Amino acid sequence: MSERTSPLPSLPRLVAWAVGLAVMVAVPFYAEAFFLQAGVFAMAAAIGAIGLNLLTGSTGQLSLGHAFFLAVGAYGYVYLAGESGNGLAGLGLPTWLAVVGAVLLAGLAGGLFSPIAGRLRGTYLGIASLALVFIGQHILHNAHAVTGGANGRDVPPLEIAGFSFADTPELVVLQVPFRALEKLWFLALALLLLAAWIARGVLNGRPGRAMNTIRDHEIAAGVMGVPVARYRAAVFVVSSMYAGLAGVLLAMAFRRTVPDYFGLLLSLEYLAMIVIGGLGTVAGAVIGAVFVSLLPPLFTRYADGLPLIAPPGSGGVSPAEASRILYGAIVVAVVLFLPGGLMGLWQRLRASTAARRKSTPSPRMEPEEQPA
Amino acid sequence: MTTFAELLVNGVSIGSVYALIALGFVIIFKATEVVNFAHASLLLVGGFAVAKLVGPLGFWPALLAGVAIAAAVAALVELLVLRRSRAGDHHVLAIVTIGVDILITTELTRQIGTEVLSMGDPWQSAVVEVAGISVPQTRLAALVTAVALITCFLLAFRFTDWGVAMRVAAEDREAAALMGVRLNRVSLAAWAVAGALAAVAALFLTVFPTPGLDRSTSLVALKAFPAAILGGLDSTTGALVGGLIIGLTESLASGYQNDLTFLGRGLGDVAPYLVMIVILLIRPAGLFGTRELARV
Amino acid sequence: MKSSLRKTAVSLTALVLAAATAGCGSGKATGGSGGTGADGVKQGPGVTDKTIKLGLATDLTGVYAPLGKSITNAQQLHFEEINKAGGICGRTIEAVVRDHGYDPQKAVSIYSELSGSVLALPHFLGSPMVSAVKQRIESDKIFTIPSAWTTALLGNQYIQVTGTTYDVDMINGIQWMLDKKMIKSGDKIGHVYFEGDYGESALRGAKYAAQHNNLTIVEQKIKATDNDMSSQVAALNQAGVKAILISAGPRQAASLAGIARSRGMKQPILGSNSAFSPQLLDTAAAPALAQGFFIATAGAPMSSDLPAMKKLADDYSKKYPGQPLDSGVVNGYGGAKIVTEALKKACEAKDLTREGLIKAHRSRNAFDDGLGTPMDFSYWDKPATRKTYITQPKKGAPGGVVTVQEATESELAKNYQVPVGTF
Repeated sequence: MSERTSPLPSLPRLVAWAVGLAVMVAVPFYAEAFFLQAGVFAMAAAIGAIGLNLLTGSTGQLSLGHAFFLAVGAYGYVYLAGESGNGLAGLGLPTWLAVVGAVLLAGLAGGLFSPIAGRLRGTYLGIASLALVFIGQHILHNAHAVTGGANGRDVPPLEIAGFSFADTPELVVLQVPFRALEKLWFLALALLLLAAWIARGVLNGRPGRAMNTIRDHEIAAGVMGVPVARYRAAVFVVSSMYAGLAGVLLAMAFRRTVPDYFGLLLSLEYLAMIVIGGLGTVAGAVIGAVFVSLLPPLFTRYADGLPLIAPPGSGGVSPAEASRILYGAIVVAVVLFLPGGLMGLWQRLRASTAARRKSTPSPRMEPEEQPA
Repeated sequence: MTTFAELLVNGVSIGSVYALIALGFVIIFKATEVVNFAHASLLLVGGFAVAKLVGPLGFWPALLAGVAIAAAVAALVELLVLRRSRAGDHHVLAIVTIGVDILITTELTRQIGTEVLSMGDPWQSAVVEVAGISVPQTRLAALVTAVALITCFLLAFRFTDWGVAMRVAAEDREAAALMGVRLNRVSLAAWAVAGALAAVAALFLTVFPTPGLDRSTSLVALKAFPAAILGGLDSTTGALVGGLIIGLTESLASGYQNDLTFLGRGLGDVAPYLVMIVILLIRPAGLFGTRELARV
Repeated sequence: MKSSLRKTAVSLTALVLAAATAGCGSGKATGGSGGTGADGVKQGPGVTDKTIKLGLATDLTGVYAPLGKSITNAQQLHFEEINKAGGICGRTIEAVVRDHGYDPQKAVSIYSELSGSVLALPHFLGSPMVSAVKQRIESDKIFTIPSAWTTALLGNQYIQVTGTTYDVDMINGIQWMLDKKMIKSGDKIGHVYFEGDYGESALRGAKYAAQHNNLTIVEQKIKATDNDMSSQVAALNQAGVKAILISAGPRQAASLAGIARSRGMKQPILGSNSAFSPQLLDTAAAPALAQGFFIATAGAPMSSDLPAMKKLADDYSKKYPGQPLDSGVVNGYGGAKIVTEALKKACEAKDLTREGLIKAHRSRNAFDDGLGTPMDFSYWDKPATRKTYITQPKKGAPGGVVTVQEATESELAKNYQVPVGTF
């Protein structure tokens, strides 16, 4: 599925990259808190979605437990970086170390689950991983000293070499006051680029091909010499680490972790992201994540100007309901009409324009016909 | 000791309702290899229809109509969505059912609004006393209905053409198609049956001891996931056993939570999943599921 | 390798470009506060010469939608009345309603939007949601009335928990049961409670009262998805409890009462204020709720004789015909009134900034909206009142409940040390 990049990026591609990056860098200088908040959430979600896409999209393992690994990352960071006291335990590590630790912890959690992940196939794994979400909720509510129980815990702001990602001290860059959200925007952007770059490397290299073979035909993969069990466990660990990193970022954006957030709905949202964006590609995961995270807040905010939507509480279709309906409809529509998701649509559009330009038909595999 | 017996009876009776839901999953999975996450919304459709129709029609006609409506909605989902999907990947199909679930559930919860809808069932809050144990009549009705329905299905699977077609389809889709089994019909029928079962389950989930149908009812359907999987996703017997195990685990874990405080309180909701994980570790395809053997 | 080099070059150019464009003046550089109005009133965010914007972050589509809807409706009603009477400070109140559907992430996004555009938040539903932005409420200095009555939200001067907290209600409730000889020293009482700060806060109060009266609490923790209380009732029956407390949702309370009564258990059942909703009286659970089921709540029931309450019930039913008159209506209306009264006071001081508003609010130590007990807002590390009503469901009564005992503060509750910022 993953599209191989040509060795040398073409000029228009480079220009697109430059413009995209410039826009992303410029946003915090103009956008208000609402957009920054939504943007940071979206970028964190994108990291998590890339991880899930490695697992589900590229290796073909359905996971409903992604929310659990997000929680491990978020709470891992809070525990490692937080101070003890007030009935709470914490290690008080330097925050940058806590980030690394939290990501490793999420990976470890994935590793611990891998005996199950290795034994179970497809659907069974999907539902078994559902257990993680419920067990996770139970732990988050009951392990009070670590998690703060239902009330949650404050998230210590990240501090790297004296630079703090918090509201204070206020940093003024080009006359724009930089508070926590502006700083976090850049942190999230940097981490997202790093995460995407690594995932691309994995997908485009040997491991990526091995993963795709496992997805397409596990036995064949084994016959061809792919160590299937090891690969599956490894992908699970890597995917969990991505979730862990996303969890850390989400925690920082929230500034307080609450267990209610890491429920089944969150797992389902991540699945929706990768399906909407397009299974198996990094860009697809990012597009899907941005789409799914931005749709509800934008809808809620701009509902007044949209047709067919009644103001909240008036009895008609409220903005939150409208955004849920739209989101459900998009999941259905994408699967029905856009196999490959939004990313697939984009590639097909490009393929068709390129084909028109060169007037050579682009070879494309039709998806195998379902036996009817 | 009476507490234990009582918890046992409770567990079995609620477990039989879970078994009905799980059976729906299993039937759909057998026929189409799709995990139907939209099952919760089918349940809500059935329950909502019964609750709305019970006023004008009376209970039994309303129940029949509710079952028919849920079956029709399920069949429509199959016709309009799953059949048209070009994705061959079963994961993608599972995810599309999540989309369907969001659509139906959002609209129905909007319709339900802030109300608690009463089912108007004939049992109301009556209880039966047997040897010092009191059991709500609704639960006995649930148990009898579930056992009857599940027996019917086991027989139907064995002896009717549809059952044979279904088993063949589950065994090997391509071979079945070549042998002249109309997979489309099998799958449509499976969805309709699952919808009908969900409506029956919805009835028993919303009568006494629960006050009625409201927006949170669909969440209960989630408990049937572990039931279906620990029994074995492709086994109807498994659905029955799985449902009972989940019901019992939940009941006992709640009833004895004061003796199990070291595991944290509120164990009743997690225990089914713990049991499921343990069973899957020992038998990766569930208790009664067929192990996939691959010959290379 | 070459490609990544080129990419790096491109990235650097992009950064320079972006920095350059950013330099060309951004609207953000100045901040959005309103300065001083034409009438000499200092204006905070959301205040102009014509309007005062207030934010309502509610749940209209999630699990607490019934509560959220009542509160939102009641607040809209109040703002309408204020505007009809000429507004406040010559400005009309404009409510910005946002629905978070009980999802913390949406709530945080909504908070980010509202914190920049409204003066105060007279309704912010859900303790997990308010907890999630507690720190930011403090740094944004935004006056917030949470629609959650947990001690976890105490200790922040910008957050006004109205009425009693759940633990205080339980203490008063247990004292009332002792006074009525329903239970006596040495008895066991069961407590079925939700996981989370609502249930656990209530449990803390019950434990405190138990400790001081030689009672034993038999705990049964449940989740919002548990709808069938059979196992819990069986366990409590086995333990031989003399009374049952329930701090869960209306569904669970109805199930509990139904099972207990149907199997002949006669113990009194006492619910926290969120354990009942009038909709239950139209279900099969109604007869069970009519026998020995009580509610401990800080809000006066809709059926009480207070003139303000009668007027509210009439006005609300007129504006929203067919909508239930539940405790959310009283809470919502009361909360809106606390904010508008503070606004009026802040207007007198010609200071409609956030600082001015909170100062005006905290200057009142005997606020009485005529809808229940007077409240003291001059401190924020204790509940604003410790008086609890005991009520009872009754079909046909406005709001479905009638008063059993007027608001009372027990000696036990008076001496209770409230946990601050936790539960």
